[in-house]
Amino acid sequence: MLFSSIPFLYYFLPAVLLVYFLVPCRLRNAVLLLSSLIFYGWGEPKYVVLMVATIAAFYLCGLAIDRAKSQRVKKVWLTVAVVVGIVLLTVFKYADFFLQSFAAVTGLSLPLLKLALPIGISFYTFQCLSYAVDVYRGNAAAQKDPIAFGAYVALFPQLIAGPIVRYVDIARELENRTLTLDDAMAGVRRFLVGLGKKVLLANQLGLLTEVFRDSSEKSILFHWMYAVAFMLHIYFDFSGYSDMAIGLGRVFGFHFIENFNYPYLSKSITEFWRRWHMSLGSWFRDYVYIPMGGNRVSRGRWVFNILVVWMLTGLWHGASWNFVLWGLLFALMLLLEKWIPALQKLPELLRRGYVLLIVMLSFVLFNAADLHQAAGDVAGLFGGYPLLNRESVYYLRSYAVVFIVSIVGATPLVKTVASRIPKKAAAVLEPMVLIALLLTCTAYLVDGSFNPFLYFRF
Amino acid sequence: MTKKIRIIGFGVLAAVWLGLILGAWFGPTRELSESERRKLAQMPAFSAEDILSGKFMTHFEDFSLDQFPLRDSFRRLKALVHYRLLRQGDNNGIYVADGYAAKLEYPLNESSVTGALKKFDHIYETYLQGTDAHIYVSVVPDKGMYLAQQNGYPAMDYRQLFEKVKSGMDWAQFVDISDLLTGSDYYRTDTHWRQERLPGVARRLCTAMGADFFDEAFLTEETVARPFYGVYYGQAALPMEPETIRYLTNDEIEACTVYNYENGKTTSVYDMEKLESRDLYDIYLSGAAALLRITNPNGDADRELVVFRDSFGSSLIPLLLKDYGTVTVVDTRYIAADLLGQFLQFDNQDVLFLYSTLILNSSNVLK
Repeated sequence: MLFSSIPFLYYFLPAVLLVYFLVPCRLRNAVLLLSSLIFYGWGEPKYVVLMVATIAAFYLCGLAIDRAKSQRVKKVWLTVAVVVGIVLLTVFKYADFFLQSFAAVTGLSLPLLKLALPIGISFYTFQCLSYAVDVYRGNAAAQKDPIAFGAYVALFPQLIAGPIVRYVDIARELENRTLTLDDAMAGVRRFLVGLGKKVLLANQLGLLTEVFRDSSEKSILFHWMYAVAFMLHIYFDFSGYSDMAIGLGRVFGFHFIENFNYPYLSKSITEFWRRWHMSLGSWFRDYVYIPMGGNRVSRGRWVFNILVVWMLTGLWHGASWNFVLWGLLFALMLLLEKWIPALQKLPELLRRGYVLLIVMLSFVLFNAADLHQAAGDVAGLFGGYPLLNRESVYYLRSYAVVFIVSIVGATPLVKTVASRIPKKAAAVLEPMVLIALLLTCTAYLVDGSFNPFLYFRF
Repeated sequence: MTKKIRIIGFGVLAAVWLGLILGAWFGPTRELSESERRKLAQMPAFSAEDILSGKFMTHFEDFSLDQFPLRDSFRRLKALVHYRLLRQGDNNGIYVADGYAAKLEYPLNESSVTGALKKFDHIYETYLQGTDAHIYVSVVPDKGMYLAQQNGYPAMDYRQLFEKVKSGMDWAQFVDISDLLTGSDYYRTDTHWRQERLPGVARRLCTAMGADFFDEAFLTEETVARPFYGVYYGQAALPMEPETIRYLTNDEIEACTVYNYENGKTTSVYDMEKLESRDLYDIYLSGAAALLRITNPNGDADRELVVFRDSFGSSLIPLLLKDYGTVTVVDTRYIAADLLGQFLQFDNQDVLFLYSTLILNSSNVLK
């Protein structure tokens, strides 16, 4: 089930809220767990079993790590947990990719598993892994209550598209949380802003990328429009989802970490990754990069660490070579930024431009079905087609406002302007804008508009 | 004070949301959408099998969209935001130019046209080759030909399509009618052309076929009282004025009878029973039908016309009747060409292939 859907907005969410606030506080985690399993089962009925098994496995591993007397036994149980996580991801996400790659190298004909990818498996497996590691490190106490632990893993607001919430960050709120009116209003506002980003901007931009893909009369202009549209599409889709997740969390009394901070304003790729999908970046930093030695190692080993982390970051996004290359491209750029300090001395405009260009090219690679298509899409930006044609001019005209709104929306300008509105006026305006957002998004959803789900590969 | 205002504002927001929730849960369900001319999804039956297969969820999502309270108003709001606020050129592929709603029919789907030509070839080889039939072909342009390019919308290459049909059906005489039409010869809210604007087209076709035609002076224009909302009215979801269906008639047309092979019913050329139907355009030859035989008691009993056509033919064919004792109307969207031999014998008839660019560009609907 998508947040940006009529069944969620008008059936599932109100029903859950009603039950959640009617039951006694001690039963609220049970309501959250049950509703999260229904939410998950709505899209993947058969994988609810996998979800429950994952919860059970990591719950038991957490307890075992916590109760183990010696460090060695703790390590054994942590290893078990890590193996469970890796096996889950390997079987359900990467097996066919590895088999196909192996077959391509060896020329063997290997049967594929052809398993449907469980939605959100990368998110909830990473949450479980961080939990096991944090318990092992002593950063968190193991959760004794299986219902509370299940609610943490399956928590529907962040289940399928993040942010990757660490157990330590919400451990206290899992056991005792309060909801204030301010929290509820802030949560509703954040949710509706995210909904607007997703439905009114991301979906429209996504539609343009589909039109481009189906077009038989491409031009250089259309390639650029596609690249910019996808870059904005993925930002508004992903950050919109994160906003909705954070907003929903707040309504239920949780405070999730931020996931995006205007990444397209970055002046370096290093900064970009501090602003883009922050929960994933910090996860890899804390649970992979630093345990590998981080940058406190030899230069060669450090380069190796960077390459491994970014290859894994790429693979996390999808089981395909273009994702691996996508990750390695960022590794290369990060290394270059470290090795060529002069890059940081370039005029600000040039630095921002360079980041936008690299990120745009990376997303062209990211969105391609395969490397061949990626090469074609990148080449098309620079030649091989007419500069423009009637179709591309039409779509440029048709999407001009969407592009302008999206570009402005990717900067803090709206926030800055909103903060300058006198408080009294803002108090009146804010709910009006939110009502307009709710009604307009509903109108787009009722019309059955294009509403893709980007995270099916995550 | 500010906090109080804010709380009241959020209260209003909650009330709006709650109102829609209650409407969605407890509002009445509708069978049909008049504006979209389709049946609406109903609440799916609840079964373990459907839940496990995910079928229930898919059907429930359809139900929730179709039965949403104020659905038509929300669709209109979306269209207004889309066109007016975001200034997008089209909404779900429908654009409005010069007050006319039209579909973005772009680009030319050459494989579809080739597919249609293959099907026409099959009809020719099965029934017409070696007979004394006189065969003609004409392509009805959709209104995009007169609206799209002129208003900055992408348009298919109509000339290329005509040339492809002309060269692909070299066993038929091509009759070009595209120069006789303009955008205003079509309904503003519908795909179709307006019959009252077609005497010129009928004249050119009849002349090409060596047949007499109704002089415009001897045709009376009648008006249907009920307002006509075309198919794009619902799809565009914009506030557009309804239109008027007019039909041209005279004593000779009134005397004709139309026999429908499928249901065995005989009606008149303009079927007034269809005045109550969802699509008023159905008054012309009773709308969609696989096979019709029109008998004209005032026509030449030895002269027969067979028309292979789509829905554009329904309003034009009445104007072609004058000289023919019998006109057989075949719609190969509803009857496979291989079955025609059971009903028709081809000999020395005039045979007209009359298809719109819309069908040629999406020919998978042809059997």
